[in-house]
Parts: sequence; C-alpha cells; structure tokens
Amino acid sequence: MIDALLHAVPLVFAPMNILAMIIGVIAGLVVGCLPGLTVVTGLAVLIPLTFGLDPLFALGMMAGMYNGGSYGGAIPAILMRVPGTPASVATVLDGYKMTQKGQAAYALQVALLSGVIGSVLSSIALIVLSPPLVSFSLLFGPIEYFWLGILGLATVSSLLGDDLPKGLIACGIGLLIGAVGQDISNGTERFTFGQLELLDGFSAIVLLTGLFAVPPVLQMVEEAVKTGMSGDKLKLHAQGSVLRQWRYFMPVWLRSSVIGIIIGILPGAGGSMSSFLAYNEAKRVAREPETFGHGNPEGVAASECGNGADNAASLIPALALGIPGSGVAAVILGGLLVHGLRPGPQLFREHPDIVYGFMLQFLVTSLMLAVLGGLAATRIFGQVLRLPRIVLAPVILLFVTIGVYSVNNAVFDLWVLLGVGVIGYVLERLDYPSAPIVLGLLLGPMIESQLRLALTISGGRTAALVSTPIAITLALLSAAILLTPAWRKLRMSA
Amino acid sequence: MKLLTLVAGLVALLAGQAPALAQAYPEKPIEMIVAFAPGGGTDVAARSIARYMEKYLGGNARIGVINKPGAGGEIGWTAVAQAKPDGYTIGFINAPAINALVIEGKAKFKMSDFQPVANLVYDPGVLVVPKNSPYTALKDIVEAAKKGAGAVVIGTSGVSGSSEHIALLNFQRLADAKFTPAFFGGTAPVRQAVLGGHVPAATMNLSEALQIAREGQIRVIGVMSADRSAYLPDAPTFREGGYDVVAGATRGIAAPKGIPADIIAKLEKAVDQALKDPEYLDAAKRAEIPLQYLGASEYKAFLDGATRDLEATWKATPWK
Repeated sequence: MIDALLHAVPLVFAPMNILAMIIGVIAGLVVGCLPGLTVVTGLAVLIPLTFGLDPLFALGMMAGMYNGGSYGGAIPAILMRVPGTPASVATVLDGYKMTQKGQAAYALQVALLSGVIGSVLSSIALIVLSPPLVSFSLLFGPIEYFWLGILGLATVSSLLGDDLPKGLIACGIGLLIGAVGQDISNGTERFTFGQLELLDGFSAIVLLTGLFAVPPVLQMVEEAVKTGMSGDKLKLHAQGSVLRQWRYFMPVWLRSSVIGIIIGILPGAGGSMSSFLAYNEAKRVAREPETFGHGNPEGVAASECGNGADNAASLIPALALGIPGSGVAAVILGGLLVHGLRPGPQLFREHPDIVYGFMLQFLVTSLMLAVLGGLAATRIFGQVLRLPRIVLAPVILLFVTIGVYSVNNAVFDLWVLLGVGVIGYVLERLDYPSAPIVLGLLLGPMIESQLRLALTISGGRTAALVSTPIAITLALLSAAILLTPAWRKLRMSA
Repeated sequence: MKLLTLVAGLVALLAGQAPALAQAYPEKPIEMIVAFAPGGGTDVAARSIARYMEKYLGGNARIGVINKPGAGGEIGWTAVAQAKPDGYTIGFINAPAINALVIEGKAKFKMSDFQPVANLVYDPGVLVVPKNSPYTALKDIVEAAKKGAGAVVIGTSGVSGSSEHIALLNFQRLADAKFTPAFFGGTAPVRQAVLGGHVPAATMNLSEALQIAREGQIRVIGVMSADRSAYLPDAPTFREGGYDVVAGATRGIAAPKGIPADIIAKLEKAVDQALKDPEYLDAAKRAEIPLQYLGASEYKAFLDGATRDLEATWKATPWK
C-alpha cells in the first residue's frame, strides 16, 4: 500500500492534474452553492467530457467537485438561510443565526474549517481503513438499516425548537409526504391521484429546495428593504481565527468526523443524515444545549464536519465492492467505468497507482478547499449580501428555478416548488420548524421499506428485529437519545 | 443551382411545408431522451454513444442527452412516444420493462407508437447466492422452495412488476415451486444484502454481478441467456439447469412512429458505425458492457417477441 501511495504521489502532483483538481473544487463550489443544483448533476455532465482524458485528470476533477460541492452548500445556508444542498440543512439552524448576529465571517470560517477537517479525516480513513471498513458495512442488512432510520428519527427531538407539539406536527407532515408514491412491494399507488410524476414520490431535492429556499425569498420581498445588509454588520474580514480555537472545537470535530465516516460507508444513508446525526450528537453532549439553534458555532461545526466526513468514506464500499454509498458515489462509479476502471477488490491490484492516486486527490482537494473555499465565500459570495434585497430576492428565485428544473427536466417540479414554497412560508409564519419535516421525509420511506424487507426475509417474525448485536445497539442508542431530555429534567429538579 | 434550391425551399415554405430533406438532416441539435437519472447505466450508455453518433452523422451533428427520469421510465418513454416524428427527438427504451408497462395497461403509449432504430445492449439476468450458500445449483434452491412453501426469499433489484420479478415468476412456473420475492428497489442495496448474507439468493443483471462473482464473493448459479456469457464462461445457464428462462435487460434507441424512413436509415447507420468505432469498442470492452447490435427491423422483431412472451406470462401469473 505504501509503495502504491508513493508511486501515486508524482502522478497526483503533475501540473495538469493539479489544474484538474482546482477546476473541480471551483466547479463544486459553484454547483454546491446554487440551491437545487447538486454535485450529482455536475458530475453527470462532467463525465462524458472526460471520456478521452487521462483517468487521474478526470478523477481529480471529480474528487474536487465532491469536496467543493459539500462546502459550497454551506455558503448560502449561512449567508441567506438557503441551503445549497440537502446536507447543509442542519447548517442553517445555527449558521444563519450567527449571520444575523453579525458573525457571518466567523460562521463561514467555522463551516469551512470543520468541513475541511471532516474531509481530511475521511480521506485518511479511505486510504488506511478501506478493507476493514468494507466488512463492517456488509454487516448492515435491512434490520440494521431499519434501526438506523429509527435512530435518525429519534434525533428529531433535538430539532423540535421550543414548541414541542408544533415540532411533532412538522415531523408528521414530513412522514406523510414521504408516504406518497408507489409501494415497491406490491405496486399500489399511494396519494398519487393518477399523476405519473408522483409515482416515485416527491423528489426530496425539489421539496427541500422549496421548503428552504422559497420562504426566505418571500420574506425578503415582504420586508422589501431597499438597502442591503450594512457593510459593518456583514464583517467579512477576519473575526478571530478558528484555527486558534482548535481546543474548543476539537471534541466536536472528532465526534462529527467519526459519525460522518460511519454513515458514509453505509450505502443508502447519505450526507444529510450525517450532518443531522452529528448536529444532534453535538447538541446532546453540550453543556448548554439550549444555545443550539440560536447561533452556536458548535452547531455549524458539527453539521459541516459530519457532512465533509461523509464524502470520501462513501467511496469505500464503492471502490472496494462496487456498491455506491451515496448518489454522488454512484455517479463517480459510472465515471470510473467509462475509464475502464471496474470497481472491486481487483481494482486495488490492477490499478493501484490510480486508486491510491484518486484517494490522495481526495486529501489534496480537501486541503485546496481550505484556500479556495475561503476566498470564494468572502470575496465573491459574501458581497452578494450587499445587494439590496429587492434585487437579491428575484435573483435567488431565478437560480432556484433553474436548479430545480434541471433535476428532472420537468415542469411539474416547478409547480411543486411553488406550492411547497408557499406552504413552507405559511408554516414558518406560524412558527413550525422546517427541519423535522425534512427528517420525516427522508427517513420515513427508508424505515418503511427496510422494515418490510426485514419482515419478508424473516418470514414475519418480529423477534428478528432485535436478533443482531448491531440492531440492539442502535435500538438502545435511539432510546438513550429519546430519554436524554427527560433524564436531564429529572436531574435538574432533583 | 444554389438559387434554384433556395427558390424551391422558399416555395415549399410558402406552401406551408418545411422541406423534409434527409440529405440535410440533422440541421439542428437532436434531443436524446433518457428515462433515467444522470449517472445510471442507461445514462452512461447514452452519453457515450451520443458522442460517436455525432461523429458518424457527419456535418455539425449535435446530440443533447436530456434526462427525464421517474415512474420507472414511464415519464421519459411517454415523452419519446409523443414527440414530433421529425428525427430531432429520439430516446433510449428499455425492454422488457417498457413492454411490461404497456401490458399492464396503464401506459399512455402503445409499443406501436415507437419506431425502433437500433438495439445496443443486452444484459442477461442472473440468480446469485452468497459465497457460503448451501445452494450450488438451481435444483438445490428449487428443492428447498418445494420443502417449505415460500421459505426461500429471493431479493430482487427491481420493484414489483420489474423484468426481474417477471423472470422470477416464469422460473417459478417452470419449476413448479414458490419463492418469496423481497423488493429492494435498486441494485446497490440488493447487492449489499447478498454480499452480507442477509438474503439467501438474489436476482440482478449479469454486468452488475460480474466483478464480485469473479472475485468469488458471490456465486452465479444461473444465467438467463440462451448461451453462456463470454464475460463469465464458468456460470451455467438456466437452460443447462433444466429451466428454460431467458430474460434480461436491453437498451436500445427508438424514435416516435411516423419518422421518415431515410432519417431512420441515417440514424441506424450512425449507431452501427459508432458501435464499430475502435475507440468506442475499446472503452466498452474495458467497461465490460454487453453490447448486442440489432438493426431497426431485427430490433422490431425482438420487441414484438418480448411483448408476446409477456402477454403469455401476464395471462398465467399477473404480476400486479
């Protein structure tokens, strides 16, 4: 392995390949920060263009785009309360509050550095731990995924906001929306009203964009302030160095990275779950959990670090087994195939220089992100906030519309965007939190399908659900999360 | 001469008829509709062949791949069927999934709404078991299923009514046994489940099982093709095992019906030439894409055959 790594180093640092990585990171930042446009779309467009190119040139661009895109989503999340990607939804919770307090630069810095640290640790895990982690991911079958979904849903408790019933209703709305679509086990259509477009259910990315990007725009229009955010409130110049506070952030970073890496290597869980779980864990162990959601930098750090740590790790099962851990990894697999690189254990034997080169590119692009991401956020995107809101609002809406249309090339999605946007706006005015809707929407279908698979396989025995050590562990963890607030209350009153 | 063509063109325009000059085709970008999301197997196949078709269509031919995913392909296929038959909208169709949709009677199109252009890929179905499975041949799994009715669970990458599910129903009928299908809804999850030993057996397409089978991490106990695959010569076919199940996924190009014959001929020729391009062939071979070229008339015969087979199955065991 060390041999292969050393062989790969000169290839990775060839001038053309460095250029490829820089292009990739910048392209990733751009697609990441535009709501609706995702890294998946960006990569799918990129792959055919790389057909005739050197594999490492193409792979370098892909690695850069993956890492760049995952941070890109945080920029509008923090500055405008509009998450650029589903994974940056949890970043909004504290990130935008920090901007309102005039700590935009600090929040961006926390997000960037946390994302970089997550990506770096994840890349190292990819390089060093691939073989053992692969066998771990194979331990997860339908039973374990079912409990993982339950664990995710348990974290809703930390996202409910101040009003418990409203939070639970929001989560119920999410679960309900998640139920729309065709039942894959028997073909029954649920709540589709004969609409072909609803057969696969609502597209999560369209829904999230509508729910999170449209209400802030409407609010901007409503306020119709003809001035931008004043320059002094924006404070995009240095506000203390996050690096110097490493002692303060280190526990959050380590915990979030571990969570992100674990979720990353489990095919089918994915980025938004990593950031939510990391956020929840940070809040759960915090000394003052009530400050989360009100501009606590640890919230931003946890979310972005978990998100970054998910990236390279999701390629572990993809490279070693050909099982993609996320949508992005799936597209990267397609890209590998185009270059005649067939994923699987033999890939490491037949093309060690390229595999390890690709892994190194993940590490290098994570570090590049530290520089490029910082510049992009403050020098370019940050300035956007100085625009009068009456100008900014339609521009955001325009980008959102283009982004959402490009997901399925369907006009239907634009109507969904509009409808959900207006509903989201109303819910927000009534103080219903949006984050629980997202979790319900993403996890409901996963929990249902995995539960049914588990019961089909076991022949209907419910006892099978607690038949493996991992299942029991996950079940106990979910219980612990649900009981933490009650226990804390008990201890305070005692 | 130039003046004459110009005048003739103008006259035709004035008469309200745009001149359908096949010599000039294509004069503007061609839209190639893919009914699945970017990055999937069909999408990658479309995007790579499109580049070479542009080369052989000549001139400044441009092909834009447009993804219209959703409803198991139905949205994209409907768009192809309903497009203007002028040669500027073509698309990928996937038999037998598309035939099944028509037979279920919900689709807004009929198979006769399509003009087949050429088939590119034929990927046979396979039945696989984990490496330490007690089943070594098809008859083992059939016997186990006969012992306890519905006791053998077979994971499938499709949903209820997918081509794999239908192949499984055919196998059941021929073997006179009953399996319990578990629908994973995608290849990645079912592959993981069989690798981790969470299901006793699974169906998928050959290309999706190739690598892990070669590495010995799963065993292919039956290939649903007439002959053994050159990519995996050790794996027996279903026919050899005593069950005549031939099923697989195809990817081919079709246009809406009513497209002028000379344009079909042009497109067909471009696909044929693209598939013979050494650069393309080399890439396809390295990626182990199971290419199978069928010209327009052969492809049509194949599609008609698939429809007939499915109609028979639908009568015996409706899958929905």
